[in-house]
Amino acid sequence: MELNGYKQEKYFIVKAGGRMDAISAPEFEKSCLEWIQQGETALVVDLGGLEYMSSAGLRSILVVGKKLKSIGGSLSFSSLTPNVAHVFSISSFGTLFPVYDTLEKALGN
Amino acid sequence: MKTIAIAVVVLFTLAALGNVNADQGPIQFSFVPQWIPQAQFAGYYVAFEKGFYAKHGLDVKVLRGGPERPSAEWLKTADSGLATMFLSTAISERAKGTRLVNIGQILSKSSQLLIAKKSSGISSWRDINGKKAGLWGAELSIMPMALFRRYGLQVNVIPQTSTVNLFLRGGVDVVSAMWYNEYHTILSAGVEPEDLVVFHLSDLGFNVPEDGIYCLESTYNKDPAACCRFVKASLEGWRYAFEHEKEALDIVMKYVNEAKIATNRQHQKWMLEHMREVIDLPESGGGPAVLKEEDYLAVASELMVSGLIDNIPAFSDFSKNCDAGNEK
Amino acid sequence: MRNRGLGFKLILFTLSGTTAVFLSAFLYFYMSAKDVVKRYVVRAAQHLTHATAYQIESMLRGVEKVPTNYAALLSAGNYEAEDIATLPERMVSANPEIYGAAVAFEPGAMTAGNHYFAPYCYRKADGCLANVMLGHESYHYFTMDWYQIPKELNRAAWTEPYYDEGGGNMIMASYSVPFYKERQGEKRFQGVVGTDIALFGLQEIVSSIRLYKSGYAFLISRNGVFITHPDSSLIMTNSIFSIADEENSSLLRSIGKDMIRGGEQMVALQSGLLLTSKCLLYYAPLSSIGWSLGIVVSEDELYESVHQLGRAVILIGLSGVFLMTIIVMVIARHITKPLKDLSATTVEIARGNLNAALPDIHRDDEIGILARSFEEMRLALKEYIKNLTATTAAKERIESELKIARNIQMSFLPKAFPPLPGKKSMEIAARLEPAREIGGDLYDYSLIDRNHLFFAVGDVSDKGIPAALFMAVTKTLLKGIAETGMDPSEILRRCNVELCGENDSMMFVTVFCAILDLRTGRLKYSNAGHEHPIIIRRGALPEYLQVPDGFFLGVEEESRYQTMETQLRPGDKLIVYTDGVTEAMNAAGELYSHANLMKTILSCSSLSVEEIAAEILGSVKQYSSGVSQADDITVLAVSLTGT
Repeated sequence: MELNGYKQEKYFIVKAGGRMDAISAPEFEKSCLEWIQQGETALVVDLGGLEYMSSAGLRSILVVGKKLKSIGGSLSFSSLTPNVAHVFSISSFGTLFPVYDTLEKALGN
Repeated sequence: MKTIAIAVVVLFTLAALGNVNADQGPIQFSFVPQWIPQAQFAGYYVAFEKGFYAKHGLDVKVLRGGPERPSAEWLKTADSGLATMFLSTAISERAKGTRLVNIGQILSKSSQLLIAKKSSGISSWRDINGKKAGLWGAELSIMPMALFRRYGLQVNVIPQTSTVNLFLRGGVDVVSAMWYNEYHTILSAGVEPEDLVVFHLSDLGFNVPEDGIYCLESTYNKDPAACCRFVKASLEGWRYAFEHEKEALDIVMKYVNEAKIATNRQHQKWMLEHMREVIDLPESGGGPAVLKEEDYLAVASELMVSGLIDNIPAFSDFSKNCDAGNEK
Repeated sequence: MRNRGLGFKLILFTLSGTTAVFLSAFLYFYMSAKDVVKRYVVRAAQHLTHATAYQIESMLRGVEKVPTNYAALLSAGNYEAEDIATLPERMVSANPEIYGAAVAFEPGAMTAGNHYFAPYCYRKADGCLANVMLGHESYHYFTMDWYQIPKELNRAAWTEPYYDEGGGNMIMASYSVPFYKERQGEKRFQGVVGTDIALFGLQEIVSSIRLYKSGYAFLISRNGVFITHPDSSLIMTNSIFSIADEENSSLLRSIGKDMIRGGEQMVALQSGLLLTSKCLLYYAPLSSIGWSLGIVVSEDELYESVHQLGRAVILIGLSGVFLMTIIVMVIARHITKPLKDLSATTVEIARGNLNAALPDIHRDDEIGILARSFEEMRLALKEYIKNLTATTAAKERIESELKIARNIQMSFLPKAFPPLPGKKSMEIAARLEPAREIGGDLYDYSLIDRNHLFFAVGDVSDKGIPAALFMAVTKTLLKGIAETGMDPSEILRRCNVELCGENDSMMFVTVFCAILDLRTGRLKYSNAGHEHPIIIRRGALPEYLQVPDGFFLGVEEESRYQTMETQLRPGDKLIVYTDGVTEAMNAAGELYSHANLMKTILSCSSLSVEEIAAEILGSVKQYSSGVSQADDITVLAVSLTGT
């Protein structure tokens, strides 16, 4: 999984590509928690390049989300691929976190 | 000589108990071989050295023979003398009046040869016709001359001394020689047997006896038994020599060296071995070495024809038979 | 053993190599030296022989001149007996080499009827000259060799050597020249002028020749008779042919023949009588007289110096080789000893004792490098094994954990497959293929009461023992709450509440649970984030069952769930599965996907639930063959048979 994080205005954008599964999810979780530790509170996760998400990935997202909620931060997603969108819909993650079509839309808010 | 003396004394004592006449003692003889010391006389030297003469009650003095002491000449004045000589020589002497007698004929066959080189073109005896032949002396040329006469061969005869050098150098085509002597001399000068043609006179009808033992008639009459014992002991000597060749050669070489003869052991060995062919040894002991009358007449008539004698002495006068009956 | 092998081989090869080189060099040198010496000797013998022969021949030629001249004189002129009688004395007195001289006439040539006319003069022992007349009864000189040979051959000739009768044991030879008279155009032989030479001067010249220790020269006559020889017993008695005969040597006989024929060469032969075994003979002719001069040297003496040298060189070589052996042994030991120590230690290490200390080798050469490399290797090996042990221990721990997890998982699954005792109105089949790392799938079914079948399929998010335990708890909660007769949504809500407490690890579980009324076929169901099941109505194509939204269990305590209902008719089938099916990957990295699942179900929709479950499982397994299974695969199929 490719993982990049960069600051844009008041948001911190996490770009994830490839696959988020049991092997790569911990890396995502660890990196996000580190950035949160560094002071980022408004995370936007761009899943434009992510083709696959397993339940392990969902779990990592939940951990990150819970952490942000506890410090009053926010977590949103953008550019979901169809596979990932399907997973999000089945798990009703869409109800838990805001999901946008594009990154611009996510940042516009 | 000391050894002989002791032996004689012993024998004397024995003889006193034996058959020998006690009052006579050992009979004394002098003996002369017909030429210089060589294996041609091995039997006599051996008989002397091994004490056979002494055993038979004879005290023999062996004198040196050779050109300085021709045996026929010497015998004329030797009172108790014994000598060997050619039969032809003995007949000549007898015919001239020397009263010698043959007491034993040792060599019953002829060893005389005519030798030629193959390179002179001679391959059969007929080829001798018209060639030069070297013959030695009066006696030894008798038989070859007789041969030439019988077969009508015209030969240029060159009288020579008994060396083979003239022949070796090509001065004559044919040379007379003795099978037991000069033939080997020629081989010892480097000539190969293959290069020679050899004619045995015995093969061409001239097988005449040669060496015999002689003494004056008076000597014989004095003690015929003793004379015959000499012959017997001499034959024993010959038997011993043939059975103990090496020892016999040692004895011969001793005499040769004493006389400083220019010969060697190899030559003497050849000589001794070829004496075997012409000496008839009776079965045992010293029995008759007897001259046959026909052989005597054959030689005598050749001498007559050659003009060397003018009469043939009676055989019975000439030959004394030493057969088993005669010795006591 | 090995150690000796190396050292031994080293010694063996170096030694055999150097020895071989040394030996071949030595042999070549030895042979060459012998050859050089031999050639030198041949040359020396040649010169010596020629010089001596020349000396002798000059002397003899000088002598020959005297009778030759007188013979010529006699052939030319007329003479009286008185004149002739003085000639011999003149010859002898004027020529010190001449011992005796004679002028011998053919019988009747000088004085008619007088057979003999041969005046002769000779030197007496005191040096005075004596005159005699040769020829008497017993001395027919005209049958003698010295007279007859020149007469019959018509040329001058030397006789064979002979012993002088009169004056002691002197060896003499005579040279006689024939002379002729010409009468009426015909040359007629008249007689011979003969001279006697004592050969002792000649003998001295030859016998003074000495070569090395026992080498000597000898002279043989025309007939091969020895005229001189160090062994005086051979002189005049033996010839080269008689000793060839005695030794049975055809080689020596042919050499003799070549000598008297006037040959010249160097031969090697073995003759004990001539000298020793193995000697070299060089001979050359005295052509004018027909004699031959030979020089003999012992090969052993000849090569003595070479042999001595050879022996010395061998000795040096041997000590050199010996020294080399010592040195090579020391060097070999220098190499093999540390190797031996090293190998002893490595054997120790190989047995497992990685702490075996390598011997201290402070060297800068290859051995030192080897030792240091060994030490590094030992340490690296130690480190590697330590890591491997740790890794293996960790792996074993995980393995055992996984085993435990699997055991927990399997122990909770209902094992008895349909038919449920006594119930013929429905059929249920389930397959659960666990992944290596336990994914925490679960399924359950049981009869709540005589008419109601409860079944559920769930998928825990985590892996390992925690997931297995979570799965166990979830299953137990679900079953327990279901048995109280509640609605599926209520079951999920209550279960969720329980799971949310004490859930820091953020584990969650997706669940689809349903209750089927066996009398009416009415199906009540609820979903908590689980894959939509597939329903195959009789006579229709399979389609996704519409499920209510609902969040995973275990995350949000206030999550709400809904119950939906549908009517099942006999022959209808419901297939519930986990994402282990749809997310199974093949070797190319592609997912099995819902599409494939639908296709598979389509192909076996008419089969029994048992067969359908097996078919799906088989298809997924075949699809992902070669790839290790990442997640648990669960399929639960229910059908209403309605009897």
